[in-house]
Amino acid sequence: MGHRDGSERAITASAEDQRIAWLAALAITIHAAETALPTPLPGVKPGLANIITITVLVTYGWGAAAWVTGLRVVAGSLLLGTFLTPTFILSVGGALASLAVLRLAQHLPGAGFSATGYSVAAALAHMGAQFALAWALFIPHPGLIYLLPILLTVALFFGILNGIIAARLVRALTDAAPGHAPP
Amino acid sequence: MTRADRMLLAVAAALVMVLYGVLWQPGPGREAHILSAAGKPLQLDLDQARTVTIPGRLGPSVVEIDHGRARFVASPCTGKLCIRAGWQQRAGAVAACLPNGVSLSIGGGDRRFDAINF
Repeated sequence: MGHRDGSERAITASAEDQRIAWLAALAITIHAAETALPTPLPGVKPGLANIITITVLVTYGWGAAAWVTGLRVVAGSLLLGTFLTPTFILSVGGALASLAVLRLAQHLPGAGFSATGYSVAAALAHMGAQFALAWALFIPHPGLIYLLPILLTVALFFGILNGIIAARLVRALTDAAPGHAPP
Repeated sequence: MTRADRMLLAVAAALVMVLYGVLWQPGPGREAHILSAAGKPLQLDLDQARTVTIPGRLGPSVVEIDHGRARFVASPCTGKLCIRAGWQQRAGAVAACLPNGVSLSIGGGDRRFDAINF
């Protein structure tokens, strides 16, 4: 940088970089739009941006899904002004947990999960990690545990719903570009 | 949906059900604490079925204790909210007749919460 000694490398965005950027932008848009929705309980929200994560996971693999999720969490928090706030910490924790579980789910021997299975696994991991973090860091109140079943029920419901939507998206993408995506 | 998906769903649903069962089990109380504006505080064992009459500001309130739970069965108030509160059995549960100045709370055991606020 700055030294014109002939070894300067130009940063060029590959087709995959651009694809990840597009998908992350889509996820951030959904994420931001979702924060406008009212929630009945703290922690209860549909997590619609996970539709993109799951779709990317099934279509382009775990690496791309991790990139899209990471960009969504960081750039989304900058956009919403929650960067480095408790919301952000919970968001990072949930994202890391769901990505870890998705990695495991992909490599489970003999297990052939589809978008629905991935989505449910990710939603439960996300909620579980957020709950544990919230309890450990922010609200160490024994009464909080009574919310856990409700929160996990919500996670299960939206995990299934998002999974069904993601499965449709995957099918549409596969039909649009045959041979590109695994079935 | 694949077979793995269905298995995961079944396991997840079962896990959530079990959590409801484990976490939402009411902690049974051991004794009833009765306070009255017109009389001395009373502490009664919930295991002994009995009916007690508590003198209050307006008149007598009747509290029934049966099978580890307690309730108001009669009170000289107009709203009868204390009676409509029904049986109280979880530790920490409260029923009260404010006009008559009589309250009934369940104590002992693992004290839980009657409300959680953020």
